[in-house]
Amino acid sequence: MSTNQNKIRPVYRPVFINLMQIKLPVSAFISITHRLSGIYNFFVTLPLALYLLYFSTKSYNDFMFVYSIFNNPSLFSTFVTFSFLVYFYHLLTGFRHLLQDIHIGESLVVSRLSSYLVLFIWSLLFFVVMSRLYT
Amino acid sequence: MKGSTLFYLVRLSALFVLGYSLWILSFILTNKPIEYVAWVSFTNQSLFQFSTTFAFLFMLIHAFIGLWTVGTDYFTSRTLGFISPTLIRYAVFIRGAYTIIFVALGFLIVTTTLFIIWS
Repeated sequence: MSTNQNKIRPVYRPVFINLMQIKLPVSAFISITHRLSGIYNFFVTLPLALYLLYFSTKSYNDFMFVYSIFNNPSLFSTFVTFSFLVYFYHLLTGFRHLLQDIHIGESLVVSRLSSYLVLFIWSLLFFVVMSRLYT
Repeated sequence: MKGSTLFYLVRLSALFVLGYSLWILSFILTNKPIEYVAWVSFTNQSLFQFSTTFAFLFMLIHAFIGLWTVGTDYFTSRTLGFISPTLIRYAVFIRGAYTIIFVALGFLIVTTTLFIIWS
């Protein structure tokens, strides 16, 4: 890297990749959010799921505490619900990638369509689950 | 390890974890409102214990390959350089620290899982 920098080159040639300046088509947006949701799942949803599994099987009172998380709206229950929705987002987008791996929906039109379909399904799921929590 | 092996490991683990998640979800959705006794007998059966162990091991493999790919894609001198040129020198160190952190967390998660399920 250090030897490369000393070479003379036109100023407009990008040396570093500015990730904020890249404009993404919708299928690339799905791909990058699949990665981001994967990171979120590993660092947040997975430990959270373990925490819930541990307390839901520990004793009856702890089970009722976990049960109340899913049935009473609070900041923590919103956070838990959101985390599992992010997990489902990862599953949905991942399922789309798996289909493309076996050459289903690889064309530009279908790929775009399935991207919007995944976003639509997830938004619907988000709305339904969140409204169930708050009613 | 060969790239194709990693490719198939990610897809295989994804399929297993997808099936496992749908199984857990279908139990929760078909047993509403969920009772303590039903939940405990569900989690105490050996099918649950074995499949959860495999699911979390597969998740660890899946997460390792995924997070490692993300690290080598975004924590490089080229991508960190646009934030600040001084970061270029520390790119390898930052990527190494990130790798150590997620590997340690992964092993912690799996050990905790095994402890929760089999005790």
